[in-house]
Formats: sequence, structure tokens, C-alpha cells
Amino acid sequence: MMNAKAEAFKDDLAQQPWSLYLTQTRRLTVIELRRNLVSWRASWIYFLAFVPTLIIFIHLLFDSHPQSTMSDDSNVLAGIVQLYYIRLGIFFGCLGIFSRLIRGEMIERSLHFYLLAPVRREILLLSKFIAGSVSALLLFVTAIVADFVLMYAAYGPAGRAYILSATGLAQLEAYVAIAVLACLGYGAVFLLLSMMFRNPTPAAMLVLGWEAINPVMPSLLQKLSVASYLRHMMPVSIAGEGIFALLTVETEPVSGWVAALGLLMLTAVVLIYSCYRIRKLEIRYTTE
Amino acid sequence: MSDRIVFEDVSKFYGEVLGVNRISLSIPPGITTLVGPNGSGKTTLMNLMTGLVQPSSGRISVLGLDPGDATGFFRNVGYCTQFDSFPRGIVGWQFVLDSLMLHGMNKADAYKLTMEALDRAQLGDAAGRQIAGYSKGMRQKIRLAQAIAHHPRVLVLDEPLNGLDPVARAESLALFEELGREGMHLLISSHILDEVDRISDRVVLITGGYLIAEGNIHQVRQEVRDKPMQVLIRCDHPELLASKMFAINHCVEARLHADGRGVFLRTADIDQFYSLLNGIAVEGLVKIESVAPADDDANAIYQYLIGSDGSAS
Amino acid sequence: MSVYKHDYRAYTGEVTPLWTRVNVLARYAFSEAWSSKITVTLFTLSLAPIIVFLILIYVANNPIARALITRGNPQAFAIDAKFFLKVIEMQSWCALVVTAWIAPRLISFDLSDNALPILLSHPISRVGYISGKFIALFSSLSAITWFPCLLLFAYQGYSSAEHWTAANLPIAFGLLVGSLIWIAFLSLLGLALSSWVKWRVVATGVIFAAVFVPAGVGGIVTAIMRTKWGFLLNLPFIMSLLWQRLLGAPEFMRSGQSIPTTAIVIMLGLACLLCIAMLNARIRAREVVRG
Repeated sequence: MMNAKAEAFKDDLAQQPWSLYLTQTRRLTVIELRRNLVSWRASWIYFLAFVPTLIIFIHLLFDSHPQSTMSDDSNVLAGIVQLYYIRLGIFFGCLGIFSRLIRGEMIERSLHFYLLAPVRREILLLSKFIAGSVSALLLFVTAIVADFVLMYAAYGPAGRAYILSATGLAQLEAYVAIAVLACLGYGAVFLLLSMMFRNPTPAAMLVLGWEAINPVMPSLLQKLSVASYLRHMMPVSIAGEGIFALLTVETEPVSGWVAALGLLMLTAVVLIYSCYRIRKLEIRYTTE
Repeated sequence: MSDRIVFEDVSKFYGEVLGVNRISLSIPPGITTLVGPNGSGKTTLMNLMTGLVQPSSGRISVLGLDPGDATGFFRNVGYCTQFDSFPRGIVGWQFVLDSLMLHGMNKADAYKLTMEALDRAQLGDAAGRQIAGYSKGMRQKIRLAQAIAHHPRVLVLDEPLNGLDPVARAESLALFEELGREGMHLLISSHILDEVDRISDRVVLITGGYLIAEGNIHQVRQEVRDKPMQVLIRCDHPELLASKMFAINHCVEARLHADGRGVFLRTADIDQFYSLLNGIAVEGLVKIESVAPADDDANAIYQYLIGSDGSAS
Repeated sequence: MSVYKHDYRAYTGEVTPLWTRVNVLARYAFSEAWSSKITVTLFTLSLAPIIVFLILIYVANNPIARALITRGNPQAFAIDAKFFLKVIEMQSWCALVVTAWIAPRLISFDLSDNALPILLSHPISRVGYISGKFIALFSSLSAITWFPCLLLFAYQGYSSAEHWTAANLPIAFGLLVGSLIWIAFLSLLGLALSSWVKWRVVATGVIFAAVFVPAGVGGIVTAIMRTKWGFLLNLPFIMSLLWQRLLGAPEFMRSGQSIPTTAIVIMLGLACLLCIAMLNARIRAREVVRG
């Protein structure tokens, strides 16, 4: 019985027009990218991503850089990634980008054009997710790489040597991986929230609160937090101070790979549930 | 593949609000007009048919296809909705092209079909401008172009004449007529009954979410037996004809035409009426030029079955 | 020959003074703000901390309860400027949440429905329109900030020894002025941001972002430039400093790291001016269609 079902499932998969799905995904992604990145309305996401880069650039131009302050700057950079990008920049950036994908279209009353296209709703959702992720990654990863390079480039040959050293590259790799996972994780969560709630922002603020109180939760519940996974991957650990203490979490040690896999699995589960939700989605603009 | 649009006992409730209730329809190819007052459930019926809303109960199939299978379904169906909004920052031709590209076409074919659709919808130079700057009529046209661009077999049009000027309305009606002649299924909802009436093969009357009547307009009119039918007879002595009809005690109402060369006669039994009229014509006292029903159009049926206040009578 | 009957007569009766018409808008804004169950829920939740603080004051002033709970530590329940600083901080966070929910309801609906041209075609000025909305938001926020804070102060005065109230009047003054500054600023910020982003959903997020993101940017400036002035971008932080000084609570920043009050006031003033400029640019009787 189980074998017959498995066979039927395999046959069904084989019969799907995968090349058409690929074409549609590519096309939808291009349409969304055009709207996410090449638009005056997207300028605020550029601001969120590149404001630290601008500040570091000013620092590079106007401040002196004695060798002794390089480790301090390493801590500052770690703080920027951990406390600014993960908690604020990527959080609010992804909230804006991914909430717009479905809920934004409903507010602007244009989602029906997509639902009336010969595109499976799951393909539509995943394409929009890919487009959102590419937009977020393009901005935030570029910004983090620029931050890293500018921060150390100020130290002349020593700084350049550090950038190209194994330690420097490993640090950069970790920051990029953190940014990628943060974008995917928050992106999936906000995409789902935007389908579940007419105004996803209060729910997103609860997510922000949840991320903040997560360390005091039992171990099992800690696995439901994006930031707790990311913290395990930080190459430089920093202690929160002042207002940032609220945003700093301490979780049980987990290896980087497990953390990355855990977050990817969390993202996959959220996306699968989102696919289920979009199949049931109805166009009722009057309630927006 | 079936050639019908089938609603089987379909109901839709928005929470406690009734959308449509227990609708069963089987619509053959041709032009079908959906008639009903505001809030009667016309748009709900169209949205149900295209999967934009899910039925609370019942089953819908369009040419044997299920809206759940978007890939197959929307290759065959085009829907020109009433929603007057578009994706932000897009120009007319790009809007149609983007939609065609999602069908999996190559760019050259998609471009060719885009131009053809824009031409059919008579959008002209406006196709190169941002949709945000379009007038209401242009937005209606670009929606129509997008709905017909992929050569669907079924075209659903929700109030397609809204916002169009008289010339554009006539052009759109001619296009619908042409598409209907080409064998397409057209389901049109419209308030401009006089104009749609001329091209419709059949009518579906709906009010308060309930189906009131469906079928060929003339047949539906004849089914409404409690309302006497009105016939316009063009002749040389309309007063004489009216008096003869009253003399044999058959007519319930007579009214002279404004130009004095015809008379509107109202009768409760149309078959008997025509047989008596034949007798009068044979007598030769009145020279009859033409006989035409004056109230078996969608407008009259609407008035009789739904009433001007929108409540089914 | 044509006969034209001129039956139409314009209204020539009495009209209310111009300034009172703001109340009409305020009344409608109130009804819009409070028509949501979520507003009521948020308002109720915002008063929950007040109940907790009320119990704390009761315990602090009841010798038996204090003996049972503090077990001989007199500092455990001291009702002083530091205590009221916590009260005002807590209520101010609640006010931010309520603003993020209410402010977009007051303006974004008008913008997304293109109602501004209709509203402003009445004998109501743009200042009148904003004032009406401002009154509604400011009054709603008052109900969860200075008003309950002063009630707590009054309860403490009633429950404690004779001279407590007279000796601590600067705390009441600080509570009132500190709250008024914060809610006036929040009202302006909420209205200004709501008028710029048009959609309510986005406006809620932007209001939170406008408080948190500059705080983060300020943190970066402080860390990278090794300067204290970056904190000026951290609104919750500078407001805490201001309240602490108004209430007379002990300084919580290291000396040399602290920000002068004048700088805080200038910063808040500039932020308010920016909000007013934003409102001035957006609240107009027109609809922009880009084609």
C-alpha cells in the first residue's frame, strides 16, 4: 500500500512540467527584483544596509588608526553585525521586503494578477521568496563585506594582510554566512506572518520581543529563534551593554554547522507551511 | 475536455455574510451575461469560477478544469477583473508581456501576442506609458488586453464597459461579439444592459446571492408568464389595430408610438395574440409593416424579475 | 422664451467659530482610533504595569506587608524618584506601542482612500486637520502616561507620611513635563511618518523602526568614532536621561559620558521640526499620480 502511494507520488513528480516551473520562477524573480531594488521606494533598505558602511568610511577618512586599536575595531565590527545588522538592519529590512511580497500586493490590490497567471501558487510563493532573499542578500551581504574591508583597510598593509589572512577570511566568511542565514530565516518568518495577519508588524515586534527573551526559555524553545542560531556562528563574541544588553542572548553552545542546518530547517518548515497557506489564500481586498 | 462551465450546488459565505447560495449552472459556449444589482453575487461568482475565492461548498469546473491546477486552468481562462489597480511602476505593454512570459512563452512570441492584444483592445500609443497615469477607460482596456492576450478559451469579464466612453464601448462590444463568434466562452457582468443585451446569447439573473433565472433571453421572457408581454407593431392605422384588439378582448394595454406609425400592445398570451394578429392582417384593413417584441430584452427581464430596488419580485 | 426658476439659496445661517471645527476632526479621529479591538486591548495592557506599581506603593507603605516581603531591607521598596523613573519609562514604552498602532489609523486611511482632497475642501485648514488628529492621539496617550503617573504620585502622597508630597513635588512636575514632552513628540512622529508611508501596515513598522534604527546607528557612531554624541540618535536613551534629570533621580551615566540637557532639548526640537516639515509636505489636498 505504502509502496503504491510512493510510486504514485514519484510518477506525479515525474509528470510535473519542471522546465516550465523553472522559467516561471526565473521570470517572477526578475519581476520582483525589478520592483525590490530598482525603485525609489527601496531607498530606505539601501539606507538600512549601508549606513554603517558610511560611518565606517567617515571613520576611515578622518580618524587616526594606530595598530593598537585594530582589536577594538574587530569588536566594534562584531557588534555592528550582531547588534545592528541582525537585530535591526536585517530585521527591519526583511520585514519591509518580505511583508511587501504578498501583503503589500494585497494592500495595493494587485495580487490577483499573479493568482490569475498560469503559475502554481507554490511556485509563486517560492519565486517571491527567492526574489526577496536575493534582494536582501545583495544589499546586506555587500554592505557587510564593504564594512569589513573598510574597517581593516584603514590600517594600511597590516590591515590588508589581516583581510587576506586565514583568520580574516574566516571572520568575513562567518559574517557573510550569518547575514545569509539571517535574511533567509527572518525572510521566511515575515513572509508567513504577512500571510497570516493583515498587519504583520505587531507580530514582527513580538518576534523581536521573542528573540530578546529567548535565552531564558527552555532549550527546546530556544531552537525557535533565528538570532539564537546566529549567535553560535559569531567569530567574535561580544557582551551587550546598555540598551543592547536587552538584545543580547546567551544560549547553550552549539556547533556552527548544527546552527546553520537548524536555521535552514526552520526556514524550510516555515516555507512549507507558507505554501500550504497560499493554496488557501483568497482575494478579499475589501477587508484590507 | 468538456465544453461547459459547470457550477454544482456552489455556496460561498464570507463569515456570516452570504456571497452566493446553492448555485447550479451549466454554461455552454457563447456569450453569457450575468445580470444582477450591486452586491448580488456576480463578482463572487466570477471569483469562485477563477479560484480567487474558494467555495464554502459545491464544485466548480471550467471546461473540465479545476482552478486549483493553475498551470492548466489559466492557459484556458482569462479574467478581466473589476479591481482597478495594477502592479506599481509598470508600463502598459510590459504589464501584458510579463503576464504572457509567465505562460512559458519565448520572448518573441510573447511580444507578438502582446502587440496583437494591445491592438485588439485599441490602446494605441498609451501602451508605452506608465499605467499609473492612465485614465479609467485606458485601465479598463489594458486589463482587457491582458485577459485576452494568451488566446484563452474562456473569457470572464467583470463590468468590462465601466469607465469607457460611447465609442470605446461600441468597440469593446464589437470585440466581444467577434470573440463569441470565434467560439470563445464569454461570461460578462454588466450594468449597461441595453448594450450587452444586443450581443448576449443567454442571461443569468442573480440577486441576493440566489439564482433567479438563466437561459436564452427570449425563453426566459416567455417563462415570465405573470407579466404580460409587450409587442410593437408598425402599421398604417395603429388606432384601428388597437381598437380591434380591444374588441376581441385580448389586450390589456395599448399605447401609440410617438411617431403615430405604430402601437405598443400588451398581452397575457403571446401565442393567441399572434394568431389573432394574423387574422387582422388577412382582413386587409390594417397594413402591418413589422412586428417585434418590445420587452424581451435583458433590461425588461431585470425589471420584471429583480425590480428596480434589487429585490427579486 | 425660457423661464428659469432660481429656487436655490445658499446657507446663510450661523456657523461655529473656525477653531471649534478642529473638535469635529478630533472626535472622528477618536472614534477611528478606538474602533479597533486591538486599540482597547493595547490600552488595557498599557495600564497593567500601573496596577503592579500601585501594589508596590501599597506594599511600601504598609508596615506589615513590607516586613513580610522585604525582611528588614528598607531600601527594597523605596518609593522615590528612581521608582517613578521606572514608572515613566515603562509607560513611555507602552505609549510607543499605542502610537504605532493608533497614528497610522488616523492618517493612513485618509491617504490611501484619497480622502484628503475631500476633507480639505471643507472650511478646515491643514493646520486644523493635523491639530484634530494630534488632539486625538495626544489625549489617548495622556490616558496611559502622565495621568496614571500622577495618580500613582497622589496615591503615594496619600499613603505615606505627612510631608512626603510637599518634599517630592518636583517628582510630580517631572512626571507631568517628562510625559508631555514624550507624548507630544510621539504624536508628531507618528502622524508625520504615517503621512509619508501611506499604507497603515507599513506605517506601524516604520514608527518602530524610526525609534530603534537611529538608536542602532547612534550606537555605531558612538563605538566607531569613540564619541558620546552618537547617543543623541538614541531616543529612548536621551529621554531616559531627560526624565532622570526632571525627576531628580541619580545619574546613571559615568561622568564625562553624559549628554547635556541642552543638547537633548535641541535634538528633540530638531526632530519635532523635521516631523512638522514632513507633515507640511504631505498633508495637502492633492493626489499625486505618476504617469
